[in-house]
Amino acid sequence: MVTTSPSDPMTELATPVESPAKASPSTKANNPNPIAEQDAMIEIDDVSFSYDMGKTNVLKNISFNIPAGKVTALIGPSGCGKSTLLRCLNRMNDLVDTSKVTTGQIRIMGQDINAHDVDPIELRKQVGMVFQKYNPFPKSIYENVAYGLRIQGIKNKARLDEAVEKSLQRAALWNEVKDRLNSSALGLSGGQQQRLCIARTIAVNPRIVLMDEPCSALDPIATARIEELIAELQEEFTIVIVTHNMQQATRVSDRTAFFYLGELIEYDDTTTIFGNPSVTQTEDYVSGRFG
Amino acid sequence: MATHFKRKGKRLLGIDRQSAIRFFFGGNAMISILVLGAICLFLAREAVLFFPQHQRDLEVFRLTGQEYANFVIEEMDEFTEVKSLADQAFYQEMNEAYGIQRGLVDCYGALNDRLFDNGEDLIDELEDARDELDDADGEEEETLAQADLDGIQSEWDDFLRAELGKADRKTIDSFGRLGEKEWQELLDAMASWDPVEDEPPALVNDAKAEMTKGMAAFDAARMQIGSAGSELARLRSEIIKITTEIKTEAVADMSSAARKKALLEGSVNAATEEARASLKAQAEAITIRENFPYSERIKALEGSREKHEAAVTSLKSGMQAGVAALPTEFASTEVETLVSRIRERTPGLFEYLDTSLKESADWRYDEPVSWLSSVSSFFFGKDWVTNSSFHDFYGLLPLFTGSLLISIIALIVAIPFSLGAAIYVNRLAGPRQQNFIKPVIELIGAIPSVVLGFFGIIVLGEALRQTSQLEWLSWVPGFPMQERLNILNAGLLLALMAVPTIFTLCEDAINNVPSSFTEASLALGGSKLQTVMRIVVPAAISGIFAAILLGFGRVIGETMVVLLVAGNQIAIPDFGLGVGVITQPAHTMTGIIAQEMGEVTADTIHYRALFSVGLVLFTISLLINISARRIIKRFGLAA
Repeated sequence: MVTTSPSDPMTELATPVESPAKASPSTKANNPNPIAEQDAMIEIDDVSFSYDMGKTNVLKNISFNIPAGKVTALIGPSGCGKSTLLRCLNRMNDLVDTSKVTTGQIRIMGQDINAHDVDPIELRKQVGMVFQKYNPFPKSIYENVAYGLRIQGIKNKARLDEAVEKSLQRAALWNEVKDRLNSSALGLSGGQQQRLCIARTIAVNPRIVLMDEPCSALDPIATARIEELIAELQEEFTIVIVTHNMQQATRVSDRTAFFYLGELIEYDDTTTIFGNPSVTQTEDYVSGRFG
Repeated sequence: MATHFKRKGKRLLGIDRQSAIRFFFGGNAMISILVLGAICLFLAREAVLFFPQHQRDLEVFRLTGQEYANFVIEEMDEFTEVKSLADQAFYQEMNEAYGIQRGLVDCYGALNDRLFDNGEDLIDELEDARDELDDADGEEEETLAQADLDGIQSEWDDFLRAELGKADRKTIDSFGRLGEKEWQELLDAMASWDPVEDEPPALVNDAKAEMTKGMAAFDAARMQIGSAGSELARLRSEIIKITTEIKTEAVADMSSAARKKALLEGSVNAATEEARASLKAQAEAITIRENFPYSERIKALEGSREKHEAAVTSLKSGMQAGVAALPTEFASTEVETLVSRIRERTPGLFEYLDTSLKESADWRYDEPVSWLSSVSSFFFGKDWVTNSSFHDFYGLLPLFTGSLLISIIALIVAIPFSLGAAIYVNRLAGPRQQNFIKPVIELIGAIPSVVLGFFGIIVLGEALRQTSQLEWLSWVPGFPMQERLNILNAGLLLALMAVPTIFTLCEDAINNVPSSFTEASLALGGSKLQTVMRIVVPAAISGIFAAILLGFGRVIGETMVVLLVAGNQIAIPDFGLGVGVITQPAHTMTGIIAQEMGEVTADTIHYRALFSVGLVLFTISLLINISARRIIKRFGLAA
């Protein structure tokens, strides 16, 4: 379990429940290089998930731990459940009325995030998300970045200014937009808009940043810049990235999880997954034989 | 080889089936466009023809001197307004300062009426008996008559006692002016009241004297103010009489050619020889003049200017003295406010009189009426008066104000409801609630407007009036309401009619906000409500604004409800009441057309004026629709 200071927001969510003492039930996944529990930011423990009240599971008994301060890539062919899993981590799936975690637990910093006393709003302040299609609000650049802070009730102009500047700098966008903070965000290029979305996400200082194919709508140059950004942000945030692009996974991630048809097939260091996978399916996928 | 690809099927007039179907649908579209165009052209033609006709009408108004009379009429109206304030103040002061005295006088009057009504026969008998006693000759007759009288007198005494005993204090003293003590005193005093002499008891007489004495100064001032205008009033009726006569003649003259023609035609077709001859004689009696001798006839107004000046001077001096003589101390602040209003309005009135006098001095009967004044007196005219014996006015302003006020109220009420419902249904409600609320709101639009109007008259109007009479609501401006049918009532009903329109369009606008915005906001830790208020509504604001505009278009064009419920008083509401203006009745552009169009003769000026109102309405609706479309197009979300 991660040691948390008393002031840590996650502990305010709810009192942590005791994680099951026993090791997780054996999964089919080949997981030869597990992350020790104490290094894990996110523990996914035998999770099954359904969009139709449990009639069919789109995630089947997934178990693995995501390390803190690292980049973890989720790969797999379309429909394998990687985006679904990502959206489970900040409970964005709550928007679908009939969705349900049917078995298992997801623990972030030791706290079961689906416990009844967890407020998804508080959870999402700690688990930010960047979407596939860049989606800045139809507001000014400044207001986009400040939005997360404003809804937390921060009105102090100096504090907002500082946070906006810092976030834009961290998102490597400051120099490009500092002279037009009050112009519309929709006037930026696609890559800039996506970096703005990243700035907006990190402005509220989350622990974890989830990225759902953040480069799929961008050209190669913009993609390269986002990838650089991910490498920089890794020092401060735990990053989970879903990607279709296997080169991208090798470039940005430390660990890679390969999913197929709702199951976790293999989870290991990225170099191992792409260099010397232990499951044939993984090898077939990463070498481009299917998917 | 060409035979393989030849067209199949029969051709009619060189048109094959596919083209025929195409022409059919195209034709349908074309017919609707042609019909719309024809309607617009007709409306525009009839409406535009109003202006030359109106110009001629104003010309006659001027040539006959009626315009001059109108100066005096309006001066008199202004004066009467101030004068009635004085009367109002006087009576209120009397009620408040001399409530008991007035109560005694009134209650005596009421008791007196009741005794005379119920005891009519008895009183007659009593009178006869007394006469008989007076006329009696000799001892014997006198004794008889005396006995007779005594009988009747005691009967009367019994009756009087019984009547006073059952007199209901609440009915008699309906304003509750008397205390228990005064009431008893009055009844005691009345016990010895004699119906034949019909003299009020000393108590009542004293009260009356005291009241008259106390109010004497106020009364004198009030009378002085009232009589200040008598000279002007005389002049007013004199000028109206003269000018109306000129106008009647002029109008008869204008139609003389037509009448002559009609009589001649009639004489040809008449059944008998006699009738034929008489009609012919009548026709020949009509002489057609080329030009009506206005310059000749207007001489009847000679001397009016001097009289007018003198009347205004006497009004001013009389009123000055009267206002100065008004008392300064009053029983209540209300009276004080009334009196101070008189004092405040007096200089304004004098100024108005001076300007009006100057304008009327510059007035010339033969000055041509410009085309522009025909237009401006329509758009900015403050009076809409038709079928009047004096002159008909066609001023749009009262109707326009009424329409606008009612629409604004409707929007103010409808916007929060529709927008709130739209937000709730689209963003907060579950699918079940959605499936229930949406159709129900849209069903409101299915209520026939005449049914709504009926509801407004019977239910809403009565409910509003009763609510407005609640004691603890008297601080609300305009409460208690004088009228059951008024702007507020109509506005509320129109709000109901606007809700489905605004709701549906707002819901569409909100629905068009991309879900990626919502997701982004939620992923940043925004609550549902924050997301709606800070992201969704601002993103949909152009659509919401367009929805409101279209709702405005809907209510300003609505006819039946306003005709039934708005009260149909053709006057600009008194904005002096502030927000309370909405409790006054009004008439609307749509209402006036619906009400008067059925009764006008085609091609008359009145008929054309109604078309002009229609054109104004059409233009407003068109502009609203165009701007709503523009807004959606220009600011609509690209997504």
